[in-house]
Amino acid sequence: MAKVTLRNVSKRWGAFIGVDNQSLVVEDKEFFVLLGPSGCGKTTLMRMISGLEMPTDGDIEFDGQRVNDELAKDRDVAMVFQNYGLYPHMTVHGNIAYPLKVRGTPKGEIESRVQEAARQVEMLDFLDRKPRALSGGQRQRVALARAIVRKPRVFLMDEPLSNLDAKLRVSMRAELKHLSNALKITTIYVTHDQVEAMTLADRVAVMKKGVIQQLGPPTEIFDDPANLFVAGFIGSPAMNLINGSVRNGRFITMGGTSTVAVNTPDRERVVLGVRAEDILVHEEGGGDLNVSVYAYENTGENVMLTLQFGQQRVTARTDRGLRKKQDEKVGLSFNPDRLYLFDADTEERIRT
Amino acid sequence: MTDRSFKYMFIAPAFLLVSATVLYPLLYAIWTSFHEWRLSKSRAPTDFVWFENYARAFFDDPAFLQSVGVTFTFIIGSVVSAILVALLIALLLSRQGKIYTVTRTIIVLPFAMSPALQGTSFRFFLNQEFGVFDRLIGFIFPFAAEIDWLGDSTWAMIWLILTDTWHWAPFLSLMLIGGLLSIPRDTIEAASVDGASAWMRFWTVVLPQLLPVLAIACVLKTIFSFKMFEYVYLLTGGGPGTSTATLTYYAYRQGFHAYDMGYASAIAFVLAILLIGVSVVYFRLLFPKEKEV
Repeated sequence: MAKVTLRNVSKRWGAFIGVDNQSLVVEDKEFFVLLGPSGCGKTTLMRMISGLEMPTDGDIEFDGQRVNDELAKDRDVAMVFQNYGLYPHMTVHGNIAYPLKVRGTPKGEIESRVQEAARQVEMLDFLDRKPRALSGGQRQRVALARAIVRKPRVFLMDEPLSNLDAKLRVSMRAELKHLSNALKITTIYVTHDQVEAMTLADRVAVMKKGVIQQLGPPTEIFDDPANLFVAGFIGSPAMNLINGSVRNGRFITMGGTSTVAVNTPDRERVVLGVRAEDILVHEEGGGDLNVSVYAYENTGENVMLTLQFGQQRVTARTDRGLRKKQDEKVGLSFNPDRLYLFDADTEERIRT
Repeated sequence: MTDRSFKYMFIAPAFLLVSATVLYPLLYAIWTSFHEWRLSKSRAPTDFVWFENYARAFFDDPAFLQSVGVTFTFIIGSVVSAILVALLIALLLSRQGKIYTVTRTIIVLPFAMSPALQGTSFRFFLNQEFGVFDRLIGFIFPFAAEIDWLGDSTWAMIWLILTDTWHWAPFLSLMLIGGLLSIPRDTIEAASVDGASAWMRFWTVVLPQLLPVLAIACVLKTIFSFKMFEYVYLLTGGGPGTSTATLTYYAYRQGFHAYDMGYASAIAFVLAILLIGVSVVYFRLLFPKEKEV
């Protein structure tokens, strides 16, 4: 169990900056997610915590003790790799037992702990198999078992679900959540999948180009994005972002369409953000705007409508019962309580 | 023309070429080994003598049996030495980066060098009067200054092995570098995080995954060592005495110095059978039939 502290940590390779002077505290027993697109430095940040990568600057502390100079093998962390990193020449049993063996754990204890870990990930029937005789999901479970077999101070997971197919990913996600609640070990989890971040995390740090953009509980990041990047990255479908300006208390699109009342002084170069579920669709003539249906998509659980007005397109999530045809005219309004305004130049949120 | 004959037509040129250059000499050698053929007396094989040449080798010729021993000493020594040196080079150079690529290219040079040139050079280097190796070693280890490297039977064998290692280690290290680079990085990183020291990672994670490549390198090097002739010929001439005369060299002496072609063919054929036997044992040991799960 450990509290992980990063103090002004940077990682540079020549002129390339992987992580730029970042500080953060991961609380004991917390499930912490580093979220961002590929190349944003999230994996580098995690590898520095593991000891596989050395920071160029800054300090890393476990429970207040500086671990910068400790090798990965001495930090007592466990890691699950994107490609699992299983030892192909060892059986499942050998893989799970490895961390205990290299630490000289007595044989009897190894046996009972391997059994316990295998039971927790439901792999007891496969202990004699080699990794290549397992499916992707099973390999993932073995990697998890190898991580939980010794009680590490910190769990590190590097996109552990990204190599699984969509269906398996959802079920493994639930198992992971269940397991982490049961084990109560500090976990740092790296992903580019915002759904994983939303569902698993106690707190999320959204990263871009080596810098943490926003850090907080998932709901806070979803409901109160700090800037344009976070707003566009979190949520599925992505938040609708409309370029325009504020004049006389109304948001005017670039095309000149007056859309909705906003409580902001007049200013140019503004981006309006609105989520798909906060766009309300009415019959023709209703709502604030008259728009036409650009595309109608029924996903089964709801209907996604892409609507066009002028040059602008927005996506609305509506009731599954809604039936519309392409090019049909409808009315549109925005939920006034859930509109976000951003400065188009600084990309920062405009708070009112 | 049917598909079948068409197929054979395409492989015919290659087949004829291989037949003429490999199959014919091989069969001719077997045929010769069952005949009496003294080149000094006759231009063609004379009497059919059954297994007399083979019987002579195994029951009537201590020099032959000694050269079998020399051959195996050389094989074991040169395979172990070349593989160990190659592994060391490979571990040092199996990294990504320009400097490693350049070093890897440079280090292959010994392999690109003609064995004849290399063998002759090494003989000069080891000369007791003016050899640069002899002088350097004498300078670093004064107690070894008086050793006549190629005049002592043990040292002659050691230098034969070292000369051969110098030639082959770079090539084998390239194979091993390929093998090392193909080991998934995350298995090694996983072992670090799991708490294994560098030494343990090498023995429990790297080496087992390198084993298939290492096995092939061993098999290849064994075959090359079996066939090795040039360094005996150039460096020691089989000497001092017959202490470094391998089977290849002994067969050559019998054929082209004693002009006993029948006997030389028989020795060469024994060599071939030993080689096949050793290869089979190797593959049995290194690639046991995998248990299906």
